[in-house]
Amino acid sequence: MPNLCIYFQAHQPNRLKPYSFFDIGRDPFYEADDLNRDILNKVSDKCYVPATKLMLELVKRHPEFHIAFSLSGVFIEQAEHHRPDVVELFQELVATGNVELISETYYHSLCYRHSGKEFARQVQLHADKLKSVFGIERPRVFRHTELIYFNELAHFVEGLGFEGMLAEGVPAMLDGRTANGVYQAPNVQSLKTLTRNCILSDDIAFRFADPNWPEHPLSAKKYAEWIAREPGDVVNVFIDYETIGEHKWEDTGIFDFWYHLPEAMADEGVRFITPSEVVDTCSVLGTYDVHAPTSWADTAKDLSAWKGNTMQTEATKKILTLEAKVKAIDCPDLLHQWSKMQTSDHFYYMCTKGDADGDVHSYFNPYPSPYEGYMYFMNALSDLQIRVDRLSEAGS
Amino acid sequence: MLGWEFPPIINGGLGIACLGMGKALSKHVDLSFILPKVDPSFVVDRVQLTGLDHLPLEQVRQITQELAAPSETLYETFAEVDRIEADLLPYGAIEETKGRREIARTETATKTLPPSRAAAAQIRYATESLPAFAAGELYGDDVHEKVTAFRKASAILADSRDFDLIHVHDWMTFPAGVAIKQHTGKPLVVHVHSLSYDRAGPDSRGWIFDVEKSGMEAADLVIPVSEYTGTIVTGHYGIDPAKVVPIHNGAEPVETYRTEKAFPEKLVLFLGRLTAQKGPEFFLEIAAKVLKENRNVRFVMAGTGEKLKPLIEYGAYHDVGDRFHFTGFLNKQKVNELLSMTDVYCMPSVSEPFGLSALEAAQYGIPAVISKQSGVAEVLTRALQADYWDVDLMAHHIATLLNDDKEYQHAVNASLEDQKNCTWEAAAERIVEAYESHLELSVID
Repeated sequence: MPNLCIYFQAHQPNRLKPYSFFDIGRDPFYEADDLNRDILNKVSDKCYVPATKLMLELVKRHPEFHIAFSLSGVFIEQAEHHRPDVVELFQELVATGNVELISETYYHSLCYRHSGKEFARQVQLHADKLKSVFGIERPRVFRHTELIYFNELAHFVEGLGFEGMLAEGVPAMLDGRTANGVYQAPNVQSLKTLTRNCILSDDIAFRFADPNWPEHPLSAKKYAEWIAREPGDVVNVFIDYETIGEHKWEDTGIFDFWYHLPEAMADEGVRFITPSEVVDTCSVLGTYDVHAPTSWADTAKDLSAWKGNTMQTEATKKILTLEAKVKAIDCPDLLHQWSKMQTSDHFYYMCTKGDADGDVHSYFNPYPSPYEGYMYFMNALSDLQIRVDRLSEAGS
Repeated sequence: MLGWEFPPIINGGLGIACLGMGKALSKHVDLSFILPKVDPSFVVDRVQLTGLDHLPLEQVRQITQELAAPSETLYETFAEVDRIEADLLPYGAIEETKGRREIARTETATKTLPPSRAAAAQIRYATESLPAFAAGELYGDDVHEKVTAFRKASAILADSRDFDLIHVHDWMTFPAGVAIKQHTGKPLVVHVHSLSYDRAGPDSRGWIFDVEKSGMEAADLVIPVSEYTGTIVTGHYGIDPAKVVPIHNGAEPVETYRTEKAFPEKLVLFLGRLTAQKGPEFFLEIAAKVLKENRNVRFVMAGTGEKLKPLIEYGAYHDVGDRFHFTGFLNKQKVNELLSMTDVYCMPSVSEPFGLSALEAAQYGIPAVISKQSGVAEVLTRALQADYWDVDLMAHHIATLLNDDKEYQHAVNASLEDQKNCTWEAAAERIVEAYESHLELSVID
């Protein structure tokens, strides 16, 4: 009988406004403040507030109910600014002791390949944020943006002091082995890798409300039975928090599903454990050897959601290569603004894939097409370059 | 005159040219325009405008009756016909039509009548639309039907009028001109602003090519807007050079100004529809070449069209996205703002009958680097030129203007001087001369 490890990701990017050529050199503000506020409000009303209240109720009614969250730094920042009530609910939930917060890069970014130093800075910044908002010490478990994972990164993350790291359980990498447990990269000392069970996670994240799915509607009881029948030590169900109420609206029965889940699990004898408990209790099943980066995004489960076309590769490269110049200028606001433009969503919006992946990308895209996403980003980037150059000259 | 576009209802340069030419020509001749659509609130002194969407009721009834009578279709007037379904757009990017129209409206806003006079004009002219022109775009899917209806209706309207010659503009009006000539025996002048050769390349064949060729063959005088287009008329279309008289377009003088750029780099501008004819890919390659040597320059591609998305990706591929900017469609005010900060204008058109935009840029004192395959190259004779495909030379020209201040100032002065000669008045005088020399008409001033 496996245990169940549930982790929710909550994140909101700072979407850019339609920043035109005519704004370059004139307008140092790149973000669509109204849009970002409106989306945060909408998602708060549909998900963050009611779902977190539900979690609080579940924790109270079922002391054995344990879950984990990763809250991106930019999300916490937006919520502090526009929705303090959301922050308070999370604080209350974390204070119950039933919730583990895990670590990520503050800006939900993709900078590791370019700069380990910048990556480490963002991880530390996120830890500092968690400490100041939730009063917790540095998390023991790390997850990278959209569950990006590969050996080299695992080694680096271990070097930052983490004991566990989350990863997509990519079938090709598991090579027939179960995702339900912990593995280890070949190049680490002791860091444990928790592999996501993509089928049981996507049953909730994607198929839950699909009337064409033979298992629809999915009840908590049925789901608990599936979990109980799984092999392995722990079933890792990792999903977006926004699944509850936003990606899947209330009328799909998603709240009802979660409301009954702890009870259904108890009936089946399944225990809830957090990622740290997994690290402490589960022994390593084997080597998980991932050379090229994997992620939980798209059907390709690689970096193609952010680096799949020339627009994305150019944009990511050009924002990251500003690092040395930006850091040479002692201006916290500029550093923050530059860092926010590293948020992976900017590049996600530039994706030109079709089919089901394309549908998911366009669901999230605030722009008419990936091309606008690219144009606005590059125009804003051009302005940032100019400001950085001006400030560099002024300083020298 | 028979026209297809006329301000404020315009799609591209044709309407602008018809207005400029019409105004200047009306000082020499009595001028009457028949157009598919007019805006009754827009009046031009001494030019009578008749829109098939604003006709007196009885005329509409009469024309509709005659149109209903079975007769040959457009093509059958001059050729044997096999029918194939096709979806053709005469000037490419239809998506722009709406936006373009909006510019036109703002542009002409100062010229429109006050409401009371506009209302009076409406009562005088507009009572009913010919069904074919009641709705839809001038260049929609049904352009063939519209061209046919325009031919028949114009011929009927011309019957009741007194005139000495027929002057038509581009292929949409050629069949109508030919029909009126057949009815009345009056001489026919066809004005060539743009050919299917320009828009679709030398291999283009089809009904538009045929309409163009037969129209020019039937004409007594063919006026291409440049020597360049003249060579296509006589060479590609095989028209008798004896009746071909190229006359350059003019440009309405505009009030120009300069704006301080908000960034330190120089600015090179491309302005036009993003279609193969305008050579936007060449501009991108030119930009990539210039940027390899000099990062202190920004390139702007203003306009939209079916090539926008591929061009954006191509720009990213060339790694120039932070120096090469797309603006999408811009209204006239934004275009002027852009011109006011531009340092070099680049027009690498594959085939450009005239190229008014380069002349407009010259009015702003912007030196142009233009393709030899353009009519405006004959006017801006001292502008740096290259074959449209010669991106190395184009890039060299741009680099020269950007790096060499003396050369740059020289080019600015040259373009300011060159454009001074390009007036509609001069064009109108040449047109009148051509009427007199080729049609044996005496036009009294």
